[in-house]
Amino acid sequence: MSVYLVHDAETAEDQAIAWILRLQGETPSVEDGLEFDAWLDARPANADAYAQLLSLLEAVDVLSPQVREGMRIETHGSARHRTLSRWAWGTGIAGVAAAAALVMVILPQGDLIAQTSSFATPRGEHRSVKLADGSTIDMNAETVMSVTLAPHERRVVMGQGEAVFDIAHDKARAFEIEAGDRLVHVVGTQFDVRNRPEGFSVTVSRGTVQVRGPGPTYVLNRGDRLDFSTGGEKVSRTDPAEALGWRTGRLVYRDQPLSRVVADLNREFPRQVIIADEHVAGEKVSGVLVLDDQTRVLERLALMLPLKTVMSDQGVVLQSK
Amino acid sequence: MKAPVPKSPKIAGALVEAYFAKRANLVLFLATRTGSHALAEDLVQDLYLKVAALDPDIETSSPNALLYRMAINLAHDSTRSQRRSEVRDTAWRQDMRTNLGGEDIVEDPSAERIVMSRERMGQLMAAIGQLPPQRQKAFRLYKLEGKSQAEAARAMGISVKAIEGHISAALKALLRSVEP
Repeated sequence: MSVYLVHDAETAEDQAIAWILRLQGETPSVEDGLEFDAWLDARPANADAYAQLLSLLEAVDVLSPQVREGMRIETHGSARHRTLSRWAWGTGIAGVAAAAALVMVILPQGDLIAQTSSFATPRGEHRSVKLADGSTIDMNAETVMSVTLAPHERRVVMGQGEAVFDIAHDKARAFEIEAGDRLVHVVGTQFDVRNRPEGFSVTVSRGTVQVRGPGPTYVLNRGDRLDFSTGGEKVSRTDPAEALGWRTGRLVYRDQPLSRVVADLNREFPRQVIIADEHVAGEKVSGVLVLDDQTRVLERLALMLPLKTVMSDQGVVLQSK
Repeated sequence: MKAPVPKSPKIAGALVEAYFAKRANLVLFLATRTGSHALAEDLVQDLYLKVAALDPDIETSSPNALLYRMAINLAHDSTRSQRRSEVRDTAWRQDMRTNLGGEDIVEDPSAERIVMSRERMGQLMAAIGQLPPQRQKAFRLYKLEGKSQAEAARAMGISVKAIEGHISAALKALLRSVEP
């Protein structure tokens, strides 16, 4: 390593810039690719410097409309972004993987040292999974995921579901969670990831999490909640204990549509609840539901909204009073 | 009759192994060519599917060279992938819609969305504005208007080497600006 430094006084950053210029020129040859590959492998600092440079270029792309129009980017926003640290740039370009990633994780057999295990919870069942690295995953009902622990990475591919991740700190192995188009990148922290038909959300209760997707990248700190739903994206402040409440049988809602509440209940109880019409489905619910017994839960729900329950062949129907 | 001995019975396995060893590097390579890390991740998945589907009898003395050859070809085709990921994104949004019980929600794509740290974005923006005029022009031509190095050189009436010098210096200055 020191020999390398003696022979080449340029910094990894200078070399990274030279490589960008070389590879973004004409169509590169296979030889260019192999040389580039050898340079990346020569020192870990090289790949880091290169990844950082690519992050910068993507950031410039995001800014390009403002740069072109000479407009200043709005700098409203907040103190919570101030803690964005170097890793967000250095490892910030952890990417977005296609749904095909699930195939990728599972197919190789014996070719890798990496261990992949799959977990699923049925309706009404929670499960706590303790991983070999000391991390814990608490799975909510109707949740599917596979977990890969490899020498250089820890990765969860999450299907539909919700889970609280309590990640053991390991600087050498980032922890990544893929959920559809979204990728959650984390070093060591606790947070809730929810990937349901009603929407995708991440709530951080400890540490810092980075979320990448087809759109912009978000850096979330304690108390931040990111929601992708209704075709939009929103970061808000929340009490993380609320989002994590399901683990102790408490569902906490603030201005959530009844449809979301019913979807949650239907994952917990075998007897399905049906909402009579769309108007009722959109009613906003705020409050805490303790999940003890379904009939009582529905009684309490009926206190929050002007609702009545009617039994039918399909299940319990919720109607306006 | 004796069954023919496969020429290299383990090559597909070797290629898959090489893929996993080189996956991170290939993502960086593809991100350089496509300008998008997300797209690069998409392409590297495509690459895996191609690698896994390859005839096990295929002969190659260098799996890595074959991987980079395939990666270069995939990058060529990246506009198709770009479209595909847009389609997928749209499909996702539509899925969200249908699951929201018929509520007609209007998206607001024009709203400036939070990207990394606004503070840092502001610093980056300022740093671009503070580049010396020639350097800034070279950087804009190359990065924002997507001109090749040769085209940028022609547009500014300077050599390709000089363009490269400007862009290198600009990138160094911008990296400084976003350092914590």
